[in-house]
Amino acid sequence: MSGVRSFVARRLLLGAAQTVAVVLLVFALTEALPGDAAVALAGDQPDPARVAAIREAMNLDQPAWQRLADWAAGLPHGDLGTSLVSGRPVSQYIADGFAPTLLLAALTVALLVPVGFGLGVLAARHEGRLADRLISSVTLAVYAVPEFALGILLVTVLAIQLGWLPPTAVGYGADLLGHPAALVLPVLVLLARPVCSLVRLVRAGMIDALASPYVAQARRYGVPRARLRYAHALPNALAPAAQQLARTVDWLLSGVIVVEALFVIPGLGTVLLNAIAERDVPVVQGLAVVFGALTVVLNLGADLVALRLAPRTGVAA
Amino acid sequence: MKQLRAGRFALGLTVVALPLALALLGPVFAGEPGPRAASFTLGDGHWLGTDFVGRDTWQQVLHGGRPVVLTALAATALAYLVALPIGLVSALTHRRWLEELLMRPLDVLLAVPSLLLILLAATVFSLGAFGLAMLVALVNVPDAARLVRAAAAEAAARPAVEALRMQGETWWRMAFGYVGRSMLRPLAADAGTRLTGVLYLVATAAFLGVGVAPDAANWAVMVDRNRTGLFVQPWAVVVPALLIVGLTMGANLLFDAALDKGGRRRALPRATGSETGEGPVRRRTEKEARP
Repeated sequence: MSGVRSFVARRLLLGAAQTVAVVLLVFALTEALPGDAAVALAGDQPDPARVAAIREAMNLDQPAWQRLADWAAGLPHGDLGTSLVSGRPVSQYIADGFAPTLLLAALTVALLVPVGFGLGVLAARHEGRLADRLISSVTLAVYAVPEFALGILLVTVLAIQLGWLPPTAVGYGADLLGHPAALVLPVLVLLARPVCSLVRLVRAGMIDALASPYVAQARRYGVPRARLRYAHALPNALAPAAQQLARTVDWLLSGVIVVEALFVIPGLGTVLLNAIAERDVPVVQGLAVVFGALTVVLNLGADLVALRLAPRTGVAA
Repeated sequence: MKQLRAGRFALGLTVVALPLALALLGPVFAGEPGPRAASFTLGDGHWLGTDFVGRDTWQQVLHGGRPVVLTALAATALAYLVALPIGLVSALTHRRWLEELLMRPLDVLLAVPSLLLILLAATVFSLGAFGLAMLVALVNVPDAARLVRAAAAEAAARPAVEALRMQGETWWRMAFGYVGRSMLRPLAADAGTRLTGVLYLVATAAFLGVGVAPDAANWAVMVDRNRTGLFVQPWAVVVPALLIVGLTMGANLLFDAALDKGGRRRALPRATGSETGEGPVRRRTEKEARP
């Protein structure tokens, strides 16, 4: 038991260190600006008033450690600073873009789990036969394809040539739920990569589990097939899949940025890309901290869940 | 199953052949750029039409593959250039603090999503192709170093190393002559999967406008910039998008088939080795771990 406890303690420590590292890394961004940060951010023709305003807004006349301390102290309260371009608080930007992104991510995860597990179990049941070969080959092929290339091809065929679905979400604003047809392609594109990796993992885990001695023994006892498959074999295939599920959040993040750009959805990814284009450093930093911390927490959770599901594997931190 | 693998290998080779040939040899056959025409037109001597500023799409396609492929190759090579010494030293050193010092910071870096890191850097610096390659290499270093360390630790625990040590061989001889050589196979397998991941990142970053000029001849940039004309002139988008799909898909199929063959051949020594990989060797080095 002490082994498990020390693993949990170490994993929590690592998570804390990762969060601190994310904050430091994001803060280091302004320090990395060449020359005078205010001049560098003011654009091609720096106008003295604008430079002064930026210096004032970012407290650039204070020493770096003091700014870090102020900024980090504000983070737990949701105070992420103010935008250089509009002067609005960064938390407002996040609140605006949150709904569409959350909707996309939630829909994707909600579909990802049943589809990923279903196809994975299906492939494992028919190992080596046509269904398995088809699923394995397709998942392997689609796995590596960047979302934007896949997405634009789907748009060309399904939206423009066949006219079944709208090509972008332009004009719907944040009210995506009212226009479900506009959501089909973005979610499909977002699903493509995570589903492939999940299917491959579940398939491998199920094949291992179904070939194990305990399943053979249960079969000899006459345990019904379905019960054997879902109550005995599947939980053991779950542990690596749970970890992978959290890692797909990393992918979902990059996927969401690309998909929002591709389908013109006003979510957090669009906010981030706009802020980058305008070199609005506080907004970029605020979003990066939120995304980074989210990734750390989800990975931490997944490792702990995986430990609970399969304690003997001792997933080392 | 063997037949299936051979089939997959052939399929991967066929799919990747055309984009790769275009990327590597395209610029040779491109010739001089002609005069600019109206944007997004079809016909008139341009058999794939013109792009958003009226350049010949086919000519852009011929030029556009090389930056993608070369940046990806450079990034993969750079990642290993950094990861190899870190992984090797931390696996072979007997000083615990040195190993911790080398590997722990990487654990922390693993937490940051790759594309986010690249976008962050793009806010502050104006990256060129080389800058993009450096960044993509950087986000790959933690994972690569971890894999190198695991492979080296496994090889260094073999009796052969013990024998070399008892014989009084030098550290260099053991590190490069034996451990380095027995790592080649797992490294080659990892390099394949890493290259497909890097291709993904390089193309996606270019699509988002990182590390490329806004009118660069680059398949990913072409997809982005010519999107506005998708209704009028789809070829300027569809052809580069198809080439990117072919490149990434084919590369993954090819490397998977090749890697599988290698796996079968070294199945025996690995079966014992992978179990003894003690210490913080996580199962994250699996190809599914990171994009």
